[in-house]
Amino acid sequence: MKLLKIGISGVRGIVGDSITPKLVMDFAAAFGTYINSKPVLLGRDTRISGPMLQAACLASLLSTGCDVLDLDICPTPILQYAVKKLKAKGGISITAGHNNIQWNALAFINQDGTYLNPYQGAEVLDTYHLGRFKKASTDGLGEARRVEKCADEYFDGLRAFLDAEAIGKARLKVVIDACNGAGAYFLEGLARALGFELIPVNNEPNGFFPHDPEPRPRNAQQVVAIMKVVGADIGFLLNSDVSRVSGVTETGESLSEEFTFPLVANEYLKDHRGPVVANLSTSRMIEDVARDRGCPLVRTKVGQSFAVHALLQEEAVLAGEGSGGVAIADFQPAFDSFLTMGFILQTMAKRGQKISRLVAELPRYHIVKEKIYCPPTKVHSVVSEVKKFFRRHEIDTSDGIRVEDKTGWVQVRTSGTEPMIRIIAEDQNKAKARERADEVIRFIDVLIQ
Amino acid sequence: MKKTSSLKISISGIRGIVGDSLTPQLAGALAQSFATYIGVGPVMVGRDARPSGAMIKPAVISGLLACGCQPVDVGICPIPSFLLLTKESKAAGGIAVTASHNPKEWNGLKFISREGLYLTRHQMEEFLDIYHQGEFSFVEPERYKTLKTESRPTEPHLKKLLAHFNVSLIRRKKFKVAVDCGNGAGAILAPQLLDALGCVTVLINAVPDGSFAHQSEPLPENIRELCRAVVRNKADIGFVQDADADRLAIVNDKGEPLGEEMTLALATRYVLSKKRGSVVCNLSTTRAIDDIAAARKVPVFRTKIGEINVVEKVLSAEPETAIAGEGNGGVILPRIHPCRDSFTAICLTLESMASSGKTISALRKDIPRYVMIKDKIEGSAERASRLIGRLKKKYEGEGRVNLLDGLKVDYPDHWIHVRPSNTEPIIRVIAEAKTAETAKAAIRRLRKEIAELQKKI
Repeated sequence: MKLLKIGISGVRGIVGDSITPKLVMDFAAAFGTYINSKPVLLGRDTRISGPMLQAACLASLLSTGCDVLDLDICPTPILQYAVKKLKAKGGISITAGHNNIQWNALAFINQDGTYLNPYQGAEVLDTYHLGRFKKASTDGLGEARRVEKCADEYFDGLRAFLDAEAIGKARLKVVIDACNGAGAYFLEGLARALGFELIPVNNEPNGFFPHDPEPRPRNAQQVVAIMKVVGADIGFLLNSDVSRVSGVTETGESLSEEFTFPLVANEYLKDHRGPVVANLSTSRMIEDVARDRGCPLVRTKVGQSFAVHALLQEEAVLAGEGSGGVAIADFQPAFDSFLTMGFILQTMAKRGQKISRLVAELPRYHIVKEKIYCPPTKVHSVVSEVKKFFRRHEIDTSDGIRVEDKTGWVQVRTSGTEPMIRIIAEDQNKAKARERADEVIRFIDVLIQ
Repeated sequence: MKKTSSLKISISGIRGIVGDSLTPQLAGALAQSFATYIGVGPVMVGRDARPSGAMIKPAVISGLLACGCQPVDVGICPIPSFLLLTKESKAAGGIAVTASHNPKEWNGLKFISREGLYLTRHQMEEFLDIYHQGEFSFVEPERYKTLKTESRPTEPHLKKLLAHFNVSLIRRKKFKVAVDCGNGAGAILAPQLLDALGCVTVLINAVPDGSFAHQSEPLPENIRELCRAVVRNKADIGFVQDADADRLAIVNDKGEPLGEEMTLALATRYVLSKKRGSVVCNLSTTRAIDDIAAARKVPVFRTKIGEINVVEKVLSAEPETAIAGEGNGGVILPRIHPCRDSFTAICLTLESMASSGKTISALRKDIPRYVMIKDKIEGSAERASRLIGRLKKKYEGEGRVNLLDGLKVDYPDHWIHVRPSNTEPIIRVIAEAKTAETAKAAIRRLRKEIAELQKKI
């Protein structure tokens, strides 16, 4: 069975298997048909397969009569920012975020610089399935143009949004691991804009990922080691398109990616009151932080597009997820790790406190994330069967199965990207968290056999 | 009448109309088929100047990358330069995004072997089998190659031309040359070549943007601007290239178009004066070629219509071919490269003027005079084949009958050729004779007989 995930925010799959030029061209043509002969931005992360998808998108977008502003290698948040700056009608970011090198994907961006909302996504999908794409005649074809300098404008905007002066004064030493992804070569711009001392790691945009491009503790060894040598104040790990980030403290603790969002929220909500959006798999830390700051929390399904559209719909101030993605509504409705890193540095600078001290303010939970591989044809029915295990509980079915009580919760959901079931359990007590996950895993194992 | 199909997938390549049949998906799938056929390796990707090339080219590149080939983007490039580049750069093959002389709304793909030649009939059949079966050799990302660009794609071609021809002889003459590149790919190399040959050059339509200032066929009616430029600038000669610069037509020093048949005739006369060898051309090419070859006592081999047929004969001809080509202005000098090449034709013409000391008008006088009339009659391909069968019976016994490609009949003072077009639902009718009256009469008779037969079929 081929691995292919088609969703409202784009399409994701394994290159050479499900991701072929034809598939990419058809989706880009569907998007171009939806955009209807207006300018579209095109960018990619550094994956080796990127130029293949880029060329396929370019040909298709031109064939539907859309002019293409080609940003080449570009982190998704910079592309999203540029959509509005350049007054484009939309964008395609070619990136599979945290997935390994075999994967690639198209993420569709609308004219507000955010992921397509469910209605827009459905329209593109319908066009794709119908297969009736707009075909411009020779005189109506789009034209392609390379666009430079998007990053400069973006960093100017970031500088204006944050207190760059305060960050500069703190003379922070920061290690950042770009994982040779789209962040590589853009880190210098960030460091210049905010005035910190950068020690970059894996900063070659060559698409060879030295570890999975997933910001989480198990990938942090290099950052931890280098921080120790240079005596850095903080370390960060990025995914391949700079939409997720996790941190490492000056004491050498690799923070779970679950900490990123609460770290930002704990400070930002002090003087920005309003609803906060998190997905159903995100740690309870954010509930405690929001409650302490008197802000309501809105839970959504997993996926950037759900979180960001809830952010817009609820007129929320922040959206984020446990995987390390954070969006601040006042800057742009997008998971943006440059902004996230900048805001954390600003907090350290303004409060004159170490990152370990800021982390210590957060409540501690124990979270267990497990996955079970399951044939794609069975995966949804298996998840549905798990309801029987919880027949005495109140079940939240907005994204898989989620059950919670006073001390913790467990969620069972199908992966949005791979044929597997994810089990996430959290509790104040470490052993209890483990047990919450294990009892469900035992039940599922029996089901699959 | 049946509507013309806007997509032609044939042994000479693929052509379609942009916005209709020629989609990025089709171009991508064909590139994948080609990659699957030739295996991994560098593949040259070039295009002619038509604007839709900017859309089709990335689709081709995408297909090649997906199958583990290394595309080398050479941008806009004259087709003869591109063929030679493919050979000399030791690539695994090449894909040219071009629709040759078709109108602007068309584009297409031509597929080129590692030898820098269009795929032969058999190779095209194998390649198209892969396309139709739809099984492509996609590779994993770890085996992807990076896209390269070649910014000086005409370099090997220019070098070879300057090494082969007598440059110092031509330079001494300081010819004044008007050249009309038709806003095609020829504009990439023509000014550079003429400069190297010491010519004072008047350039017309030399921006390769595919805007096709005139219809891209270098026919007399399309080149009035060039004729005026020759007169106004008192030029020694005028040249006009077609859109992908494989064909050439000549305007004399009085500003009169010589007719495209003359390009090969002039070149043949000059080449045979220096080198013995056979001549290869297609069935519809002027009989002047036979007269010129007969004077030198060398054989002429006639082939089916289509450049690849001429080239295939060149590669196997015995004695070795000195010169080949087509009456449409396509000159092939095998020592440069076995392909039609307007730049080779330019060099041959100028060298012939320089070494003889004659004007182009004077050289034209040395070529036997014939009048050729080209006509066409509506009719589908299936009807045409029955028609040709019946026509053959009528003409048998009158002259020398040749059924290699349609029906050709040779008489002592004229010839006729009837064949269905490969690209349109029409039957092409050609007659050539010593006098216009004879040629006209032959066409009249053919039209009448075809009209009668069409009623019966």
